[in-house]
Amino acid sequence: MQEAIKQTELQTEQPFLARFFPNNEWVLIAVLLFEVLLFSVIGNNFFTSSNGFEITRLAVEIGLLALAMTPIIITGGIDLSVGSMMGLSAVVFGALWRDAHVPLPLAIVITLAVGILGGYLNGAMITKLKFPPLIVTLGTFSLFRGIAEGLTRGIENYFGFPQEYLFLGQGYIFGVIPTQLPIFIIAIFVIFWILQRTAFGRSLYAIGYSQEGARHAGIKVRRSLTIIYTLSGFMASLAAVIYVAHLGQAKSDAGTGYELMAITAVVLGGASIFGGRGTILGTILGLFAIVILQNGLRLSGLPTELAGILTGVLLVAVILFDRFSKTASSVNKVSFSEEEFEVKNSQVGFICAAIVLTGLLIAGSNWMLFSSINKGGSTVPATNASSQNASQTTPPTGKKAVIGMMPKAKGDPYFISCKKGADEAAKELGAELLWDGPTDLDPAKQNEVVEAWITRGVDAIAVSVENKEAISTVLKKAKDKGIKVITWDADSNKDARDFLINQATPQGIGETLMDETARMLGGKGEFAIVTASLSAANQNEWIKYIKERMAAKYPDIKLVAIQPSDGDRDRAFQETQNILKVYPNVKVIMGIAAPAVPGIAEAVKQSGKTDVKVTGLSLPNMCKPYIKSGIVDSIVLWNTGDLGYLSVYAANALVNNKLKQGDKTIEAGKLKSIEVVGDEVRLGKPFIFNKDNVDNFDF
Amino acid sequence: MNFNQYKREISAAIAFLVLLIVVGIASPSFFGAGNLGDLVINNAPFLLIAIGMTLVILLGEIDISVGSQFAVASVLAGVLAKSGVPVPLLFVIIPLIGVAMGAINGALIGWFKLPSIIVTLAMLVAWRDGLRWVTEGAWVQNLPSNFQWFGLGQSTGQIVIVAIPLIIFLIFAWSLRNLNIGRAIYAVGSDSEAARLAGIEPKTITFGVFALMGGLVGLAALLNAVRFNEIPSNAGIGLELKAVAAVVVGGAAITGGRGTLIGTIIGVALLGTIGTALTFLGINPFWEKAIQGVIILAALVSDILLRKYEEKLSTDANR
Repeated sequence: MQEAIKQTELQTEQPFLARFFPNNEWVLIAVLLFEVLLFSVIGNNFFTSSNGFEITRLAVEIGLLALAMTPIIITGGIDLSVGSMMGLSAVVFGALWRDAHVPLPLAIVITLAVGILGGYLNGAMITKLKFPPLIVTLGTFSLFRGIAEGLTRGIENYFGFPQEYLFLGQGYIFGVIPTQLPIFIIAIFVIFWILQRTAFGRSLYAIGYSQEGARHAGIKVRRSLTIIYTLSGFMASLAAVIYVAHLGQAKSDAGTGYELMAITAVVLGGASIFGGRGTILGTILGLFAIVILQNGLRLSGLPTELAGILTGVLLVAVILFDRFSKTASSVNKVSFSEEEFEVKNSQVGFICAAIVLTGLLIAGSNWMLFSSINKGGSTVPATNASSQNASQTTPPTGKKAVIGMMPKAKGDPYFISCKKGADEAAKELGAELLWDGPTDLDPAKQNEVVEAWITRGVDAIAVSVENKEAISTVLKKAKDKGIKVITWDADSNKDARDFLINQATPQGIGETLMDETARMLGGKGEFAIVTASLSAANQNEWIKYIKERMAAKYPDIKLVAIQPSDGDRDRAFQETQNILKVYPNVKVIMGIAAPAVPGIAEAVKQSGKTDVKVTGLSLPNMCKPYIKSGIVDSIVLWNTGDLGYLSVYAANALVNNKLKQGDKTIEAGKLKSIEVVGDEVRLGKPFIFNKDNVDNFDF
Repeated sequence: MNFNQYKREISAAIAFLVLLIVVGIASPSFFGAGNLGDLVINNAPFLLIAIGMTLVILLGEIDISVGSQFAVASVLAGVLAKSGVPVPLLFVIIPLIGVAMGAINGALIGWFKLPSIIVTLAMLVAWRDGLRWVTEGAWVQNLPSNFQWFGLGQSTGQIVIVAIPLIIFLIFAWSLRNLNIGRAIYAVGSDSEAARLAGIEPKTITFGVFALMGGLVGLAALLNAVRFNEIPSNAGIGLELKAVAAVVVGGAAITGGRGTLIGTIIGVALLGTIGTALTFLGINPFWEKAIQGVIILAALVSDILLRKYEEKLSTDANR
C-alpha cells in the first residue's frame, strides 16, 4: 500500500525532474549547493569571485580528461591510460621545445599528434584485437608512463618556457578570467554537442546499451570506438600542454593519478559504468563537487584527507541513491538485468552492522596507535588543537601571525618529525600554524595549496619545495600580495622567496654521504644507491653531487647501480636483495630516502652478509635497531625538529619585521642565536648519527 | 590434459619460460638457490591477494581497494601486536578485520548491485586517506621481539610464510574445480541470470567472494608484515593493479567466467620475476615500467595468435 502511494508521488514529480535532469543531476546540484553553503560559512574567503575562478583553473586538466572519459564510459569502456599519456605528452613537448629547438606552436601540434597516436593505439587494440578496454589501457598505463620515464631517464625536467606560453596556464584574461577557462568551456560545448546533439553521439549510447544491437542497427561500432579513444588521447595531450603551462615545467610524472580523478568525476556525475547512460552536465557537476570539496576543506583549515573519505562516501551514496531512484530505473531499464531488485531488511541491517563494527575496530586500534605514538609526550595533536593551546598562553610580542607551512608530503615520517618542532615554536610564539601539503605524488598539489593559502589570506608561507620551477611562479604571486615567503628543507628559485632556512645544501649532503661511504669502504671498492623514485628532484640533485665528489676525491670507488624504491620500504628491501646478488662486490649500500634505509638494512641482515655496510639519509628512530646492531654504520641528517622550529621562528620574525636582508643573526627561542648569511638562515652542518650518539635523539 | 582448455595458461607459461631462458643465458647466477628462495618469499604474500582477485574476476567483478585494505590491515597488525595481543591470535583477528572490510564491498556489490569498480574505487580512496589521517604517516615501531617471523627465527619463519599461501592455493585450486561452490563462481561469472535460475544465489556468492578477498588481503598483510620489525603506513600502493595484471596475464577473462588458479600462479611468477630479472640483465630501471606494459600487452597478443591459429586449424579441419 505504502509503496503504491510512493510510486504515484514519484510519478507526479517525474516529468519536471526528468525533463531538466534526465539523469538525476539535481542530486549533485544539491550536493554542490550544500558544499558552497557550508564552506562559505566555515571557510576563509571561500565565496569570492577570485576563488571561484581559481577553482576553475584547478579543474581544467582533470576536467578535460573527464570530458573525454564520458563518451568512453557511456559505451561501457574505460581508459586508464590518460594520466600516463599526460606524462608522455609533457616530456615529448618539453624535449621538442628545448632539445630539438622546435618552435612552440609546432611543438604543441606534434604533442597533440602524439596524444592522437596513443589514443588510436588504444582504440585499435580494443576494436581490432577485441580486448577489454580495462586490460588494454592497463597495459598502456604502464607503457606510456614507462616510455616517458625511459626517455627522460626520470631526471629531465624541462622548464624556462617563454612567458607567452606560460600565459596559457597562469595568466588572466581581462585580469580575472584564467586563460585556460575559455579552452575548457569550448571543449565542454564541443563534447556536449557531439555526444548529445549528433547522430554519432546517440550511437555511442546505443553501443553502451548493447554493442551487438548497435551493430545490427547499422552503427559502425569499431569506427565509433576508435574515434572516442583517439579523442581521449588527444584530450590527454591537450591537458598536458595546459598542465605544463600551468606549472611551468614538464616532467615524466605529470598527471600521476589523474585517471582515477577523471573516472571519479564521470561516475559521480551519474554515468553508468556498464554503459548506456551519462551526460556532460553530470560530469561537470561531478568534477566540481570534488574540486570544491578539496578547495573548501583547505580554506577551512580542515584536514585534506577528509576529501578522500568524503569523495568515497559521496560516490557510494550517489550510486546508491541512483539505484533506488525510480526515475533512473525507468530511463535505464535495459542496462540492468530484469531480475527483481530486492534487499531484505536483514541485509540492510547487516551492512550497517558491518560498517559500524569495522569502524569501531579500526577506531579502537587507532586509539591504541595514538596512545602508543604519544607515549613519549605531547606530539601528535592536530593543528587546530595546538593553535588552541597556543591562544591560551600569552604571545610574547607582535601580532598573532598566521603561518602556512607545507611539507613535500604530509604522510612522510621525516616531515612529521619536522612538524613536532614547528608546533612547539608556534605554541611558544602564539602563532597560528596551518600544516598542509600533498598527500600523494601529484606534483601540482603544492601549487594548489599555496593558491588556497593566498586566497585564505595568511601572513607567511613556508614551503619545502618539491618542484622548484613549478612552485616559484605561485610563490612570486604570494610575495606580490604581501605575504612573506620562506623556503625550508628544499629551495625554490631565489627571487620567489624572502629567506631560505638552510639545514644543509644539496652539495653538503651529497659530499657528507660520499665521505661516509668512502670511510666505510676504506677509500676503495664498489657501492650502490637506493633512491626514492627515479624522478625525485632532490634525490637526483644529491646523486649529482655524490658523483662529483667521487670523481674528484675517490678515484678507486665505483658506483655500480642506482635502483628506485618509490619511497616504499618493501620495494627497497627487494631491490637490495637484487643488488647483493647481481653485484657481489658491493660493500656499501646507500639509501637516500628515509623509508629506504630500514628496508635496505633488513635485506642485508636477512642475507647474512656481515661485510656489507649500510648508510644514507634517514630518521634516527626508524634506523635505531639497525644502527645498534651495527648493520647501519651511520646515517646523515640534521635535527629535523629544530628545522621545523627554526622555520616557524623565522617566518614569525619576518611577519613582525624582525628579520630583514642584511641581518647577521636571528634569535630563535631555544636555539638561541642562529647565523644568517645573505638570504639564508643556517641551521648548521648535516649531522652524522652512529651507534654512540643515536640514543640521544628521538625523532 | 586438454590443450584447448588450458591454452591461455600455456601461453603465459611460455612467456615465463622465455623470460627465464633469456635471464638464465645472460646471467646464470639468477638461478642461485638464494635468489630463487628470495623471489618465492617476496611473492608468497602477494599470491594470496592474486588468489582472491582471481575469484573476484571470475565473477566478472573487480576489486581495486585491496592495496588500501592491505595498508590498513598491516598497520592494525602492528598496533595490535604492540598492545600485547599474542601473535598467534593475530592470525585470527587480522583476517577477520580483512573480512569485515571486504564484507562492506561485498554487501554493496552483491546485495545492492552497485558496480564493483565504483564501490572499490571509493573504498580505495577512503581507506587510504582515512589511514593517512589517523597515522599522519607515522610507522609502527618498537614491535615486540616475537613479532618478526612470529618469533620462530628467520628460516622457520620463511617456511611458514611460503607454506601458508601454498596450502591455501592448493585448497582453492582444488575447491574451484571440484566443489559445488567453486563451480557456482564460474556459473555466476558466465551468466548470473542463468545461475540464479539454476538455483544458485548470485548475491550471496558475490558477497562471499568479496568478504573472502578481504580476508585473504588481511592474511597477506600479516604475512608480509612479519618479515620486518617495523610497519610503514604507506604499504600496498599500486597493489591492486599488480594483482589485476597478474590474474589477467594468467589468462583469466576480465568479463568473468573463465580463468584458473594455475594461470594466476604463473601470472604472479611472471610479474614477480620481471623486476629482479631486469636487474640481473643489467637493464636500466628507467625502462622497467615500459617493459611491464609491453609484457601485459604481449600476453594479450599471444592469446590472439593462439586464437587465430586455432581458427585456422578448425577451418582446415572443416575442409
